[in-house]
Amino acid sequence: MIVLHMDMNAFFASVEQRCNPALRGKPIAVIGSSKRTVVTTASYEARKFGVKTGMNKWEAKKKCPSLIFVIGDNRKYIDTSVRVLNILKDFSPKVEAYSIDEAFVDITGTDLLFGPPEEVARRIKERIREDTGLTCSIGIAPNKLLAKLASDMKKPDGLVIIREEDVSKLLNDLPVGELWGIGPRLTEHLSGLNVRTCGQLAAFPASVLRERFGIIGERLKLMGQGIYDSPIVPIGEEEAAKSVGHSTTLPKDIADKEVLKRYLLKLSEMVGARSRAHGLKGRKVSLTIRYGDFFTFTRQKGLEQPTNDTRVIYSLATDILGSIRLRSAVRLVGVTISDIAGGCRQLPLFEGERKRERLVNAVDLVNRHFGDFTLTWAALFEDDDPGPGVISPAWRPEGVKRVNVR
Amino acid sequence: MSTVLKEPIKVIAVFDNGVKPVKFKWKGRVYPVKEITYAWTSKEGDSRIMHFSVSDGAALYEITYDSSALKWSLEGVQA
Repeated sequence: MIVLHMDMNAFFASVEQRCNPALRGKPIAVIGSSKRTVVTTASYEARKFGVKTGMNKWEAKKKCPSLIFVIGDNRKYIDTSVRVLNILKDFSPKVEAYSIDEAFVDITGTDLLFGPPEEVARRIKERIREDTGLTCSIGIAPNKLLAKLASDMKKPDGLVIIREEDVSKLLNDLPVGELWGIGPRLTEHLSGLNVRTCGQLAAFPASVLRERFGIIGERLKLMGQGIYDSPIVPIGEEEAAKSVGHSTTLPKDIADKEVLKRYLLKLSEMVGARSRAHGLKGRKVSLTIRYGDFFTFTRQKGLEQPTNDTRVIYSLATDILGSIRLRSAVRLVGVTISDIAGGCRQLPLFEGERKRERLVNAVDLVNRHFGDFTLTWAALFEDDDPGPGVISPAWRPEGVKRVNVR
Repeated sequence: MSTVLKEPIKVIAVFDNGVKPVKFKWKGRVYPVKEITYAWTSKEGDSRIMHFSVSDGAALYEITYDSSALKWSLEGVQA
């Protein structure tokens, strides 16, 4: 197999720099709203000062006093992402949208049409630059793990090819944390076993790794050897959604449960509407709370009958909120339905339920035609707009994971 | 956009293999489109909205075209 991994360089920041020539060559950071929030992407000029994704505005400004904050416009990024994915689809039918700015492409056997892998990568980069003015880094390797490693090796505008025969030499001294899927905590655990490089991981007894890390232990050893058999999942062929959820960072930390309930209603409506649009119902409703100190937890409640009715979702979410003694003000709230039952439904038996279903269907129809929240709950009229928010890593270009955002 | 406007405007545009705004009239004054710095689309219900980030050489404007309602709008300006 020949896998190509494409990673758009500083994606949101680069789009903003294309849009506004005055921002080109300057340190900028894209944020979710003017009121607060964290940096979602920093330009390469800002990264030189140490500005990173996830930093709050205050920290970022301290690192780079000349930093310019730009409020993101998710519609721009989603449209650009879809355009880039369409370019990739011109080179292979097997394109996996890994996130809004990353994709895997199976280019096995495309050499007769487009030439060797290096030529395919060059053509893709050229098409993306022509269409969007943006650059990307591309890695090509025998599997997804190594292709992702390759694209990370040269940024921005890089092209790195890892060939089968170079794998063991390349990985031998490579720190394990450089591998996709091995985060800081796992790196620390491995370090406790004196495993710091991929070479050491590859040579480590599988039985000890299995004992220590369970089912992923053996997989870790294989990753240390550069072996990775995860297939490319083409767009539209992803496994069915296991949950449907929305969360929002509040404009300021809120301790008043009555005020929080308004946000829960909006999130419940977003979850309900999206689930109904895709014929999904969930048997569990979860509420996620994040305090100002970033401590985050989730509580859930079950239902006898699966639902996608905003009123039921909201009712359970508020029940959960009522049962929690908040220890401090809340920074983020999220509502999710899970334990999804797709395609089956209990027909409403009573007139009241039928009327309710007709009402919900009519509201959905109006909102699909004229835009989200054209018809909505009176309680949301005084909505304190938290801004465009952040695109979830679970965003996909098609299906239930394509979330409409501003 | 630093100033949000969302005001209707009149636009002269070329419709040929896409849409290219050439100049627009806002509050009685005509602004030439010297550069389209970026273009993207979004959906509002069934309507496809085309967004253009344009410069008249002095400021940056975001103008939109609603292809269902056939209406142009000046969304915002950045001086």
